[in-house]
Amino acid sequence: MNNPYLPLPMKLVKNFTETEDKLIHTFTLEFQSEEDEKSFAYTPGQFAELCVFGKGEAPFGIASSPTEKGQLKFSVAKVGVVSTALHLMEEGATVGVRGPLGNSFPMEDLKGKNLVVIGGGFAFTTLRALSTYILHPDNRADFGDLTVIYGARNPGLLLYKEELAEWEGRSDINLVQTIDRPADGWDGRVGFIPAVVEEVAPSAENTVAIICGPPVMIKFTMPVLEKLGFKPEQTIMSLENRMKCGIGMCGRCNVGSQYVCKDGPVFTRSQLLELPNEY
Amino acid sequence: MIITKQDIPNFLDSLKNNYQVFAPVKQDNYTMFKAITSGSDAILDYSNSKIPPKGILFPQTEELFSYKVDKQGAHLEEKIDSEQKVIFGIRPCDAKSIALLDNVFNNDKYEDPYYLTRRENTVLVGIGCNQPQSTCFCTSVEGGPFDTTNLDLLLVDIGDKYVVEVLTDKGKKVLTSAACSDASEADKQAAAKTKESATVVSKVNLDGLKQKLDSNFYDEIWDSISEKCIGCAACTYSCPTCHCFDIVDEAKDCDGCRVRNWDSCMFPEFTIHGSGHNPRPSGKERFRNRVMHKFKYFIDVNNATACVGCGRCIQNCPVNLDIREVLADIQGSEARSVS
Amino acid sequence: MSGIENAVQDAAKKLLAENKVDVVIGFAQGSQPLRSTPAFIRKPEEAEKLTWNCTCENNLANYLRKKEQKIGVVVKGCDSRSILALMKENQINRDNLYIIGVPCSGMIDRKQVADLCEGKEIIAAECTDDALVLKGHDFEKTVNIVDVLHRSCAACTHKNPVIYDEMVAEAVTEQKEDFADIEAFEAKSTAERRAYLSQELSKCIRCYACRNACPMCYCEQCFVDCSTPEWVGKSASDIQDNMLFQAVRVFHGAGRCTDCGACERACPMGIDLRILTRKLVKDAKELFDAEAGVKMEDKPALSTFESDDPQPFLVKE
Ligand SMILES: Cc1cc2nc3c(=O)[nH]c(=O)nc-3n(C[C@H](O)[C@H](O)[C@H](O)COP(=O)(O)OP(=O)(O)OC[C@H]3O[C@@H](n4cnc5c(N)ncnc54)[C@H](O)[C@@H]3O)c2cc1C
Ligand code: SF4
Ligand code: SF4
Ligand code: SF4
Ligand code: SF4
Ligand code: FES
Repeated sequence: MNNPYLPLPMKLVKNFTETEDKLIHTFTLEFQSEEDEKSFAYTPGQFAELCVFGKGEAPFGIASSPTEKGQLKFSVAKVGVVSTALHLMEEGATVGVRGPLGNSFPMEDLKGKNLVVIGGGFAFTTLRALSTYILHPDNRADFGDLTVIYGARNPGLLLYKEELAEWEGRSDINLVQTIDRPADGWDGRVGFIPAVVEEVAPSAENTVAIICGPPVMIKFTMPVLEKLGFKPEQTIMSLENRMKCGIGMCGRCNVGSQYVCKDGPVFTRSQLLELPNEY
Repeated sequence: MIITKQDIPNFLDSLKNNYQVFAPVKQDNYTMFKAITSGSDAILDYSNSKIPPKGILFPQTEELFSYKVDKQGAHLEEKIDSEQKVIFGIRPCDAKSIALLDNVFNNDKYEDPYYLTRRENTVLVGIGCNQPQSTCFCTSVEGGPFDTTNLDLLLVDIGDKYVVEVLTDKGKKVLTSAACSDASEADKQAAAKTKESATVVSKVNLDGLKQKLDSNFYDEIWDSISEKCIGCAACTYSCPTCHCFDIVDEAKDCDGCRVRNWDSCMFPEFTIHGSGHNPRPSGKERFRNRVMHKFKYFIDVNNATACVGCGRCIQNCPVNLDIREVLADIQGSEARSVS
Repeated sequence: MSGIENAVQDAAKKLLAENKVDVVIGFAQGSQPLRSTPAFIRKPEEAEKLTWNCTCENNLANYLRKKEQKIGVVVKGCDSRSILALMKENQINRDNLYIIGVPCSGMIDRKQVADLCEGKEIIAAECTDDALVLKGHDFEKTVNIVDVLHRSCAACTHKNPVIYDEMVAEAVTEQKEDFADIEAFEAKSTAERRAYLSQELSKCIRCYACRNACPMCYCEQCFVDCSTPEWVGKSASDIQDNMLFQAVRVFHGAGRCTDCGACERACPMGIDLRILTRKLVKDAKELFDAEAGVKMEDKPALSTFESDDPQPFLVKE
């Protein structure tokens, strides 16, 4: 019997301070063998339990795309036991990874569709995985237009700045970056996500919106998407309920009869409308 | 088959050669299932145990694996308990609860090797309930004082001996070490009579309950139902079907182990997000989850009610919040659908 | 007894009818023999559900902290002390509270009753003024209530509520403080005490019913739940950690604990918690002449400092 509780030891090759406030680090982990890598076949939208031996484990969205071979990336905000221990870890150390867990973005269903990816703050992690996957030459032709709307409170809090710069230069992605308030040295767009989505006004025609961010952002963006004609089944979200086992047994992440870890974390808005509002 | 009560200690002692034997024993003025060192420790005359024997398959605290981390990396050592076990004297409700737990630890996507290995290697020897307690309501939840679901053997107490019903091969095997004789016609009749005369007085009405719960999530009734609950885990830790757990590391520096501990949906920390947001912020939401989980969500997922009517939550609740009354209140409420 | 019950009902009915309170918290008939249960009464016509007898064991002060509503509450001596202690800690707004005081002759301990019945199930029970008539499937038994009182009730020195708006019956006679139980425990050797406590705490399942039943335990985050730092291990199998949990819990109640016994009653495993709580009640009394929840003007024992405070735990005197 395969033991779903055993983590895969991986090597921390990079502990990168992602944001100006230093509260988010991006960790690059390397598989220790090809066999390990094979055992960890994943799809954008999935997550994994990261463990620091001696401290515990916690769930984090996989920020890398399966097209990025040999490694995994996670961007982790420092909030508690495991995340703090991770932040303090030295490169070269061993980190445990348990996964991949959860469902994923419905990649097959998304094929042939235009995509509007909307992210706020540090919830951009699995959206990065998704965008990177779509932009890969092997996959790009499978999908229609890709619009990415990404915002943070200020420029220093945007994740993956180098990649965003690279995406800006490409013609196969329409990247819209925004910050909440004007800041020195920022000549890009200023405004909250809901307002920016309204301005950009993506067409709902043959399009799916994928949205991850803080609850307030989601709350105010939903009506905008509705106004633009996005139906609940055209809107995809990812939930972040507290989790422990990640495999539908420990009982803590349920929303109604669904376990977010096992049956989610990705749900369409129409699925969520059927569930109680316990997330 | 027949085994006399007098022969039970010897039977248990002989089982100890090949199995770890768990049986009801006295602790203060209540009963607990424990691994016995002598067959005579087992008590035969008991109403159900304080804490259910589920802990034998799913211990309150259990080491999942230990590890050592050094320059070369992490070395893990899995701790799977594959010792052969017998649970002697389990009541039919508790045996049935194990069938429910099987769904949890072997779900549509994952298997839990710790639970399933123990489960595979455990023989369930049940004793029927001649005298159900006033808090027992097993017959309302598809069980009964002599229900054989999940049991390998069922013992029916007919005075100074038990009539043994052999239900599985596993059961047959453990019985080989018992001094059994064949049951006479009179014994069989006595057993039938015992079964007939055992009455479960307490009832809950599940008719239409699921439909009510399907639509009453936002109903005001949850405010009043949970008002006196103090949010402890006396109910969930004593419930044979509750399965929530937490996983923690117990370690000094880097050599340590990963441990899982029972946890409870009645605790606020159970669901609090890293951001501090809590989707079940007060006792009302947590109590609702407990009831919904047992009488709706579990049915949605596994097509079975996650309550076997053992009555422990009723006995152990410090404020006498009685699940039977809760269900009756819900049944009485006008289900209003709001969202 | 039924006289008190009627008086409680009348008081509640009147309060609700005159809109003086939004809710009356008292006791109703429980679902099992020898049990009553906390009840929240909101309509005058529901007041007749209220009951009073020797099974009204919960400390209702536990439901009164930080409440916005106007509440009427039925209290025994010990509950009233908890209320007073909570008022001092700013947890209860006295203006929103109407206290229906009941002089209390003690509540019965179901565990002792069960022992007397040799563990056989009691299927019916009747309380008279001073006796319990118990019926089982194959027995009937009468026991004196005074013989099966909770230990905290048997030793209670404040049977009459110390604070109330209305008292529904004649005061009962108080008895003298007697710490013989604790003195006996103190007389044991350290090893014996440790062995006893280990034995008791080995039964703990970490359900936290004790903590949650205590009116004085209201920290927003309890130290046992804290993960950064993790003060105490979470596994119930570690007796040392179970002891540490109780030690810290009990010390946090030093000078605040009113010896109401709610924690011990709530414990499903029947653990002797009172040996700890009461030891600190005795210490608070002996070291600081402090008794929690008795007088509003008393200073809280451990939040004040006098230069001549005894400090035997810091310096060997
Ligand atoms: C599917 C999924 C994907 C996720 N992806 C990411 C991601 O990509 N990046 C990311 O940074 N985060 C992500 N998270 C969130 C992350 O899992 C949590 O922040 C996690 O709690 C961090 O673990 P920790 O051990 O550091 O924090 P913990 O020690 O568990 O504590 C975190 C916070 O929880 C609260 N808390 C914990 N225990 C208690 C208690 N006993 N009482 C009161 N409050 C308590 C506190 O507010 C504390 O600050 C994701 C979560 C899920 C479910
Ligand atoms: S909910 Fe109560 S009665 Fe039902 S199985 Fe659990 S403890 Fe027993
Ligand atoms: S045992 Fe009673 S008080 Fe404790 S959580 Fe359960 S219902 Fe609430
Ligand atoms: S610690 Fe126990 S005895 Fe003391 S006030 Fe709290 S519940 Fe009452
Ligand atoms: S109530 Fe009893 S079993 Fe529960 S945590 Fe307290 S001492 Fe332990
Ligand atoms: S995290 Fe354990 S059930 Fe979802």
